[in-house]
Amino acid sequence: MTQSIETAKKRKGILGGLALVAVAIGLYWSLAIAPPDAYQGEVQRIMYLHLPSILTAYLSYFLVFVGSGMYLWKREKRDDLLAHAAAELGVLFTALTIIEGSIWGKPTWGVWWTWDARLTLTAILLLIYAGYLMLRSLIDDENRAASAAAILGIIGFLDIPLIHMSVYWWRTLHQPPSILRPDKAPWENVHPAMLTALTISFVAFLLLYFYLLSLRYRVGEMRHEIKALRVERGA
Amino acid sequence: MDLLTQTYLLLRKDLLLELRRRDSLLTMFFFGTLLLFVFHFSFDLPPDKVAEMAPALLWLAFLFTGTLGLAQLFQAERENHCLDALLLSPLDRGALFLAKTIFNLILMLLVELVVIPLFWILFNLSAWNLLPQLFLVILLGTIGFCVLGTIMSALTLRARARELLLPLVLFPLMIPVILATIRCMESVLRNGEFGEALSWLKLLVGFDVIFITVGILIFDWVIES
Amino acid sequence: MGAWGFVSLAYGIVYGAIVVYWLFLKRRFRQVETELNRLRASEATRSDDKS
Repeated sequence: MTQSIETAKKRKGILGGLALVAVAIGLYWSLAIAPPDAYQGEVQRIMYLHLPSILTAYLSYFLVFVGSGMYLWKREKRDDLLAHAAAELGVLFTALTIIEGSIWGKPTWGVWWTWDARLTLTAILLLIYAGYLMLRSLIDDENRAASAAAILGIIGFLDIPLIHMSVYWWRTLHQPPSILRPDKAPWENVHPAMLTALTISFVAFLLLYFYLLSLRYRVGEMRHEIKALRVERGA
Repeated sequence: MDLLTQTYLLLRKDLLLELRRRDSLLTMFFFGTLLLFVFHFSFDLPPDKVAEMAPALLWLAFLFTGTLGLAQLFQAERENHCLDALLLSPLDRGALFLAKTIFNLILMLLVELVVIPLFWILFNLSAWNLLPQLFLVILLGTIGFCVLGTIMSALTLRARARELLLPLVLFPLMIPVILATIRCMESVLRNGEFGEALSWLKLLVGFDVIFITVGILIFDWVIES
Repeated sequence: MGAWGFVSLAYGIVYGAIVVYWLFLKRRFRQVETELNRLRASEATRSDDKS
């Protein structure tokens, strides 16, 4: 029993180490090798944070969806543990995405915040999954909390395309299309070093994400075992 | 007993209970009207601006009023363990979902039927002929609200701080409905017909259809939690 | 604030937050692990007593 725990720990350690290496390489490439953008200058480098962050967040929410669905179907605790861990990480990466977007916006548009489609959507995403976490923490019975959260996880995910559509329509119907969006870089003349920086950053974020996810999952798993042991002793 | 019959019976029970005491209905009605007054004092709008803000103000008033109704939705079942009794019977959970949704829908529609003309009078609006179209939009929006609201109301049944948690989880999910309803109404008031707002209308209908289906399928799990 | 200022702010906050979260996780991990081992150990002694 303890041997498999040791192997698991070692594997996590390797993953963490890999993540660290990837992050370091990614940082070097993003900040030193990739050239500054023709229009936005150095500030455009924030894109190497922003795109990986938002994609990691979306991946997270997809995992919440899958975990929630599997849990409702098979009632295996590990699916619920996955959903919970993914939701927590999703909230973290979404919050970071918003902060990055805001910081990128200040020199680009002159304001710290704007209600454009992208930022607004990210903020809504944050609200939905923060609500998920709140729901979990406010229901005392663990099984009920898991079921309720699973339903919310599914409904939330299904709603996202609808929210996407409505916010985009709202923001583009009467806005002039000349609003510059940070990720609409001129792809025709993209420097290969930029693409490399972006790719490495993606990989780095993914590795980081899965490392943190495995840690968080294990914490949840142990907590569950503790509860089970306590119930046994109490009975 | 099929789905529709079960729904009808459950709905009839709720309606009869409500008819006798009218707790929810009256509270919602007075709250909606109260909000109109509060808005009037808060916003202090010149007459030409009121028509612009009317859809938003109305819909906000209904959102908050509806949330009140949702909090009450399973109240009768919570007392005396009626919910457990219902669940022990071979009841189709989808029927319970439909019954509760339609019940809340009826309450809200009754309130809206009174509050909208009241709003028109209090704020001196003139476009009375557009009310039917506006009401169609509000109907579709209210359906969306009641569908998701019933699910969330059931989900948060055993949570602490339920009155705060319910709007917290519900409102972000309602954003498509809020946007679609208000934009649609604005378009109608501005142009006198749907025109460009047709896509918003389609979105609303899509939203309603999707979540009614999801609700019926998923309510087994909702109510068990 | 110059361009590099914004860049450092963004990168700083992001990686800073990730590190903080990671430390937070590690602490939770250690606490829960200790508690679990404690419970498991006393479970073992309990069953020893019974047999």
